[in-house]
Amino acid sequence: MHDFIVVGSGSGGGSLAYYLTKGGAKVLLIEAGKMYRKDTFPKSEADTSAQLYWGGGIEFDKDARMGFLRTKMVGGSSIVYQCLMDRFDDIAFNDWKSESGVDWFNNQDMAPHYDAVESDMLLHTFVESERNGNARLFVDACDKLDYKWGALRRGQGDCGADKGNDCLACLGGCHRDSKQSSLVAFIQKGEKLGLEIQTEVEIGQIESNKDSVTIKGINNGKPISFQGKKVILCGGSFGSTKMMLQSGYKSKLPALGNNFASHPQFMWFGLQKEKVDAHKLMFQSVASKDPNFRKQGFKLENVFAPPISIAMLYTIYGAKHQQYMKRYRHMQCIEVAIRDENNGTIQIDNKGKLIVTKRFTDSDMLKKSKGLEVIKNILSTSGAEEVFESSLYFGLHLMGGCVMGIDPNKSVVNPDFQVHGESNLYIADSSIYPNAPGINPGLTIKSLGHRLAQQLIK
Amino acid sequence: MANHFSNAAKKGLSRMGDLILPASGEFPKYSDVAGLQYLDELVVNAPKEDIDSLNLLLTILSFMPTFILKWLIGKMATSQSNPSNGFIGVTFRQLDVGLKGLVFTTYYGEKINPNYTGKTPEQLVDFKINRIVD
Repeated sequence: MHDFIVVGSGSGGGSLAYYLTKGGAKVLLIEAGKMYRKDTFPKSEADTSAQLYWGGGIEFDKDARMGFLRTKMVGGSSIVYQCLMDRFDDIAFNDWKSESGVDWFNNQDMAPHYDAVESDMLLHTFVESERNGNARLFVDACDKLDYKWGALRRGQGDCGADKGNDCLACLGGCHRDSKQSSLVAFIQKGEKLGLEIQTEVEIGQIESNKDSVTIKGINNGKPISFQGKKVILCGGSFGSTKMMLQSGYKSKLPALGNNFASHPQFMWFGLQKEKVDAHKLMFQSVASKDPNFRKQGFKLENVFAPPISIAMLYTIYGAKHQQYMKRYRHMQCIEVAIRDENNGTIQIDNKGKLIVTKRFTDSDMLKKSKGLEVIKNILSTSGAEEVFESSLYFGLHLMGGCVMGIDPNKSVVNPDFQVHGESNLYIADSSIYPNAPGINPGLTIKSLGHRLAQQLIK
Repeated sequence: MANHFSNAAKKGLSRMGDLILPASGEFPKYSDVAGLQYLDELVVNAPKEDIDSLNLLLTILSFMPTFILKWLIGKMATSQSNPSNGFIGVTFRQLDVGLKGLVFTTYYGEKINPNYTGKTPEQLVDFKINRIVD
């Protein structure tokens, strides 16, 4: 029997499995998706969407308004995201502490875990010479408007920018093993230390025994089960919540499936007379760092995407669509991400299908409109000839559903990551986030994994 | 690879595609370029019931009069700004994203008809990225 079974291999599961293995434990890491390596990641945008995401691309909320991008492969979302590594500020931790009653939610207690994770990753803060056309337009306009901005810190090694490598390709997985995904920074190192990995297993049932936990699932259409002394769910907000709901925990834990938030992101485009080439080189190197924006609950990021995704964001059909796409290289792009309220819910229907409800509150709408006002100023100052907003929007940071707290009526796991009332079942991923921090969640998820590993190895 | 989509479904998608992306300037019409042979590859991770529903819908669209398809596209185009969260509003939004996803993926990307000899939409968009591997 394994000492620990970790279910889910994204930011939380990858780091946790590595630190447990490094601590001498016998660990099995289970993942619903496949294992891809740097030389086997999909090479086209179409294959990336089809092969690496649940649902074959985008999943939607109940109202079919907000799209969610949820990955399905070893390494999880850390494979496709930009690997931006930000520590939380006091605002984020204070809000967590106040909502959950967990007293170690503060920068002092989390610092050793941040330090440990950062020391196991290659980190890079972008410099001026690495800015592409889109970033230069953003920075110049922010300077003119006196908006504060900052260079992003990313988990990366040698991205080959000096050789002309375009990092847009790594949205489908980094073909250089430069991006410090969970796979590169933790899982591959764990494999060398004896970490076992079982792929393509979707867990649907959890059963707690006196001294162990049995988990049952499906592997290539056939039932399969595993038994571990302790099981830690790291399937993310949707994955872990779904496993808990399917296993009948909602009757014991009324907060299960509640407090969902997703940092909704709205993209705006400006068409420039000259080519911007937002898709070239390091396509995301700067972001807003304005304390006023933070207070108002939004941030701006300098992003872009390959043609099919950009085509999806423009809602006009016919010849006008093609003429718009013809100006792909002239597009400037900025998104606003809001620190949304955690009013969403995650449920399953009688067939076990996820039903996510996420509606904006007045406060969310105010944050969005404040952010869009700033974006319009930036695009106008940048000299955009035409400006448009995509009516599609996305939740990329899926958080909550199994939140941490001291009250079993308002939370799912206790401050030791244990499911309330269970001694051998734990959760350690973004589903335990009490509310939306308004900051990229990846580094903190990994650091929470480190904290739990230290606790369990003791 | 499973063969999820009937010929009638592919015809339905082509008809919708030609209304969504007609021939315009240098751009070819959808059906001249569409990589319909790749549809099965695009749904490898989609739930089977969703694929079956899509196949049925596309099959129905294959024999609908053109004016109905145009009406449908008009509804899809405004669906994202439609405030209704009722059945009709939700259905048109799902249709908008689902059909657009298939049409754009088999037009603006690499999954196009290998027999197409003209300049591809991806070339017309002038999208090129360098994937440098040491």
